[in-house]
Amino acid sequence: MSVSFLVTIATLALVFSMGSMLLNVESSWGGMWDLGIAGQIAVGAYTYALLTGPPDSAVPGFDLPILAGMIGAAVVVGVVSTVIGWPALRLRGEYFLITTFAFAEILRQLIVIRKDVTGGTFGITSVKKPFAETFTFEAYPYVMLGLTLVLALVVWALCTRLGNSAYGLTLRAARDNEALAQSMGTSISAIRISTYAAVGAMCGFFVAPAYVWFLGALVPSIFVSSLTFTIWTGLVIGGLGSKAGPLLGALVLTIGSEMIRLVEVSPEHAQIISAFHPLLVGLLLIGVLRWRPGGLISERTSFTRSRARLASASATSETDRTPSAQTGSL
Amino acid sequence: MQNILFGLIAGSVLAVATSGFALLRNTERFLHIAHGQFMALGAFLGIVLAGPLGVVPAMVVSVLLVSALGVVSGIVLFDPVKEQGANVMLFTSVGLAFVIYAVMIAVFGTQLRVYDVQLGDARDLGPVSIAPGEVVLLLLAALVITGLWLLLSRTSIGRDIRAVASNRELAQVRGVAINRVTRTVWALSSGLAAIGGIMMGVLGSVTTELGWTNILLILAAAVLGGMGNILGVIGAALALGIVMDVSALVIDTSYRPIVAFTILILVLLVKPEGLFSFQKRREVTA
Repeated sequence: MSVSFLVTIATLALVFSMGSMLLNVESSWGGMWDLGIAGQIAVGAYTYALLTGPPDSAVPGFDLPILAGMIGAAVVVGVVSTVIGWPALRLRGEYFLITTFAFAEILRQLIVIRKDVTGGTFGITSVKKPFAETFTFEAYPYVMLGLTLVLALVVWALCTRLGNSAYGLTLRAARDNEALAQSMGTSISAIRISTYAAVGAMCGFFVAPAYVWFLGALVPSIFVSSLTFTIWTGLVIGGLGSKAGPLLGALVLTIGSEMIRLVEVSPEHAQIISAFHPLLVGLLLIGVLRWRPGGLISERTSFTRSRARLASASATSETDRTPSAQTGSL
Repeated sequence: MQNILFGLIAGSVLAVATSGFALLRNTERFLHIAHGQFMALGAFLGIVLAGPLGVVPAMVVSVLLVSALGVVSGIVLFDPVKEQGANVMLFTSVGLAFVIYAVMIAVFGTQLRVYDVQLGDARDLGPVSIAPGEVVLLLLAALVITGLWLLLSRTSIGRDIRAVASNRELAQVRGVAINRVTRTVWALSSGLAAIGGIMMGVLGSVTTELGWTNILLILAAAVLGGMGNILGVIGAALALGIVMDVSALVIDTSYRPIVAFTILILVLLVKPEGLFSFQKRREVTA
C-alpha cells in the first residue's frame, strides 16, 4: 500500500467533506433540499479553470492568479445560485428538489454544448494548481493534502460558527416552524435566498477549486447527479444537521469506497471494482436511513451543549430564539 | 410532420414509464428515483434473456422479473421506513438506484448493447414515413396505457388504488386493503418501468446510464402532468416528447434536454399544480 495513494484518498475525502458541510447548512438547517449541488460545483470549477487557465490552450483562459480565480468562482456561483434560488425557493419540498435537480442538468448540458468556452465533452486539460512549481512532483500530493485540509478547516469553522449564531438558529427555526418564525419577525424568503446564495458562493470559493486541483482536468461527465448523491450520502451518513457529522460522514464514505482500489485484480474483474463505489453509496444510504436515521452524530446531540449554553445566556438576551428540540426530522 | 411523429414515439415510451412513476408517487407519496434503474434493468434483462428464451418471451419474463423485484423492494426496503416520511423514502430510493446501478455494472458491464430486433424499412404514409416496428411500438404503448386506464377505472383494485391515492387515511378507515393496494402498485409501477425501458432499448440502445439519463425526464413529465392525474401525466409525456423533437427544427438538437427542463421549471413556477390538474396542490404553498 503506497502512502501517496492514501494521501490522494484523504485529499478527495476532504473535498467531498467540504461539499457535505455546505450542503448541511442549506439542506439540514435551512430545510432546502438541494439536488443541484453538482451543478454549482461544476460552474465554480469551470469558472476557476477558465479564469486561471493559460491563454494559448485549446480553451483560452485569462491567466489570472489563483486567488483571483477562486474569488471569481465564488462570485459567479453566488450569482448563478441567486438566479436559480430566486424562482426555485418559491417552491417547497419536493418541487424545490426537482427544480434544483433540473437546473443542475441544464448547467451540465450547457457545459457540454458550449464547446468554445468549456471544451465540450473533451474538457479542459490544463489547470493551474497552487505552488505547483515550488515543490517536486513527489512532494506535491502532500502539499495538496495540506492545502485542502486548511480549506476544509476554514469551511468547518465557518459552518460551525454559522450553526451557533443567531442566523443559524433563525434558519433552523424557519425550517421547524415557518409560521412561528415569520411571526417573530424573520423574513423567511430573505434568509433562505441569502443562505442559498452564500452556500453557492462558498462552493465556488472552496469546493470547486479544491476539486479542480485534485482532478487536474475537467470533463462534464464528472458533474452528473451521482456527484450530488455522493455528497448527500456523506451528509446522511454523518448525520443531517449535526456540526461535525458531515465532515465525518464524507471522510468515512470516501475512504471506504476508495480503499477498494488497493485490491489487486485481474482486468476482467475491473468492472466489479468500478461497481463498488455506487454499491457502497447505495447500501450505506439504505442502511443508515433504516437503522440510524439520525446518522453517526445526530443534530440533537450536536446542539445539546450549545443549547445549554444558550439557555443560560438567554436570561440576558432580548429574544429567545431557541428552536424547538424536536429536530432531526429528515 | 416527421419530427412530430418521432416526438410522439419518444413521448409514448416516456408516457409508459412515467405512468408507473406517477402511480407510485400518488399512492406511496414519494419520488421513486430508482424508477429509472428499474427501466434499465428491464432493458438489460430483455437483451440477456433473449439468448435462451427468444426475443418476445424474454421481454415478457423481464417485465415479470422487474415487477417482482419492485414488490420485494417495496416490502423489504420501503415499508419499514414509510413512517419516517417522504424524504427518507426518496433517499432510500436513491440508495436502491445506486445498488441496482452497481449490480448492473458488475454483471452486464458498461458496454453498449442493442436489441436483436429490426424495425423494418420506413414506408411513406402521407406526409410522414414510418417503419413497421415503430407502428408496433406505438400500438403497444397505446395498449399498455389503455390497459392501465381500464384497470384503474373499471376494476375493484383500480378503484381501491384511486381511493388510496386521493386520501390514504380515509381509504383505510373505509376498509380498503392498503397492503394489497401497495403491492399491486409496486408490481404495476415496476412492470411499466421495465416495459418503458425495453421499448427505449428497442428504439435505440441500452447502457447502464439509461436509468440516470431518463429519471429527470420522468420527473419532468410527472410534474408537468400534475402528479395526481394519470391521464394528465400521459398527455404531458406525449407533449414533452413532441416539443423536444419539434424544437430540433428551431435550435440545435443538443438543446433537447434543456428545452424539456426549461419547460419543467417554467411550469413549476407559473402553474405548480401541473398543466392538466384542476386541483391546487396543497404541498406547494404549505
